[in-house]
Amino acid sequence: MTSLWLAWRTTKRYRVRAVLAVVGVAVIGALLFDMLLLSRGLLASFADLLNSGGFDVRIVGSEGMPIVRLPIAGSTRLATELRALPEVRDVVLIRIERATLWSNERTSRPVTLVGTTQASGGPYTIVRGDDLPRDSSFDRCPILVSRHLAASLGVEPGSSVKISVNPDGVRSALPAVSCRVTGVVNFFFASAGENSVATTMTALQQALSVPAFAPDASAGEPGVDADLILAASQPATGPAAAVRAIHRVRPDLRAYSNEDVVALFNQNGFAYFRQISFVLSSLTTVFAFLLVATLLTVSVNQRLGEIAALRALGISRGRIASILLWESALLVGGGALLALPLGGLLALGLDHLLRQMPGLPERLHFFVFQWRAVATHAALFGVTAAAAAAYPMWLTARLPIAATLRREVVG
Amino acid sequence: MSVVEARRVTRLFPMAAGPVAAVRDVSLSVADGEYVAVSGPSGCGKSTLLHLVGVVDQPTSGEILFESRDVAALKEAERSRIRLVRIGFVFQRFFLLPMLTARENIELPQAEARVPAADRRARTRELLEYVGLADRADHLPSQLSGGEMQRVAIARALANRPALLVADEPTGELDEQTGGHIADLFDRVHADGTAILVVTHNPVLAARASRRLTMKSGSLVS
Repeated sequence: MTSLWLAWRTTKRYRVRAVLAVVGVAVIGALLFDMLLLSRGLLASFADLLNSGGFDVRIVGSEGMPIVRLPIAGSTRLATELRALPEVRDVVLIRIERATLWSNERTSRPVTLVGTTQASGGPYTIVRGDDLPRDSSFDRCPILVSRHLAASLGVEPGSSVKISVNPDGVRSALPAVSCRVTGVVNFFFASAGENSVATTMTALQQALSVPAFAPDASAGEPGVDADLILAASQPATGPAAAVRAIHRVRPDLRAYSNEDVVALFNQNGFAYFRQISFVLSSLTTVFAFLLVATLLTVSVNQRLGEIAALRALGISRGRIASILLWESALLVGGGALLALPLGGLLALGLDHLLRQMPGLPERLHFFVFQWRAVATHAALFGVTAAAAAAYPMWLTARLPIAATLRREVVG
Repeated sequence: MSVVEARRVTRLFPMAAGPVAAVRDVSLSVADGEYVAVSGPSGCGKSTLLHLVGVVDQPTSGEILFESRDVAALKEAERSRIRLVRIGFVFQRFFLLPMLTARENIELPQAEARVPAADRRARTRELLEYVGLADRADHLPSQLSGGEMQRVAIARALANRPALLVADEPTGELDEQTGGHIADLFDRVHADGTAILVVTHNPVLAARASRRLTMKSGSLVS
């Protein structure tokens, strides 16, 4: 006959009260759980997105948030120098341009054209067809197209298309070049409806009508400058050491580890979500406390005679307090447990709604399951259960036995 | 030797118009195995006296000695322990826990006194047979009649083999016939050697006691 057992029997006895409390806490708890998922979810998803390409350092030519990109002068030679650093394992140059893709003479779409020196395994997953070829000498302009673009233009792997680049600051489009679709992909950073195309840096240069690319050029820098350089650090030294080494080579550039980027976004872009989440989490916790504290207090007030009789029989204050604490824990715990699947389902729906916002990468999520959120949820409800039981426990501890028994008989 | 002794106890209750003496300068002793009944009109202080003797209340002045120990000098935990193992309480309104069966209600004080489970079960069986409710062991209080509930309450009060059984109007909620059965049960408890202090309006029950006292306006008059 433990206190937990007695609390369980009491909870079963007062079923309606128990169901009301559990359902109320479950609904409130679902909201709390969602707020906890939201508070870190976007950040976790963003970090996952950054890490998905296999590169943990980003080098840009501008200060501040690594979004606005300026061409990095001498990027070809810089890539060679960076590859020579002991802290760096791999380097990839990226150039992004606006372009128009023609599937035939009459059908075209504006696209985001990404040129990369990464031969394969870029920031995308292949849906159909093949990756960009490692050796492009036989295929002058291989391209990968986003799923949305492929569906929109009806192109498939093997289709021939034409691309004309529209560089910033250039009024007329450059001559179109013939390209061949090698694969249909989902780009990690592209939004669901975005028309994106990836190709080799050599093909991009050709489309830009720039002199031949020379990876090992030591002077004059023929070829196109990248506006983003991705570097993979050596696992032994880590990204922070790679960032320091890159800064020594080119102090005029900004190198950020993925952690730095996430931290920058956490301070700026995501602070809003964190604040909303904090306010709503606090409110929901207070609601749960009020609900259970009210139900327990009402229940204890209805049972004062019974409790006074138990005390008269020699049942200790501690035992009665622990029964109440367990009652609170059962009501809050039951609700909190139920809140997890309920909150999970709600999070799926809300995530789907929020991801409809235009311009968001398709792989970015607002609500991401994390054990940390479950642990915080459990801890908050643990505190809530204890706090909700505190007043009824105090009430019974101070209960005057004789006066209460007298009142019960007179009543 | 007395189980409990009240020495010139007074219990005042603070009221807006000034303190009211529910019990006034009362001395009473219940000897080991004695059966004492206290009668008197409503509001004369019977229940207050019972609460003082039953160690659930403390006098404003005077002394309560339980088995020669001054109750006022004890901590609440020690008083609680005395109530648990040395005193059995029977209430007018039974106060059985509604979510526990008859058997579980009787086991509860034993569990609190940390009686081993096997001994607990054996004692509970014995008590259910003693009060004639062996076949109602697994019934909830809501499935029992008033007389049956009071018998379970008496069994619960006897669970830890107390030296003193205190009962506050134990037949107050029962009809005459059922009250008579409860009076018979009290006779048996007394015959088995347990001291009883009963506060009652019921003349049949009071007549069974070996000593009958009458209270009036907070004082014992006979």
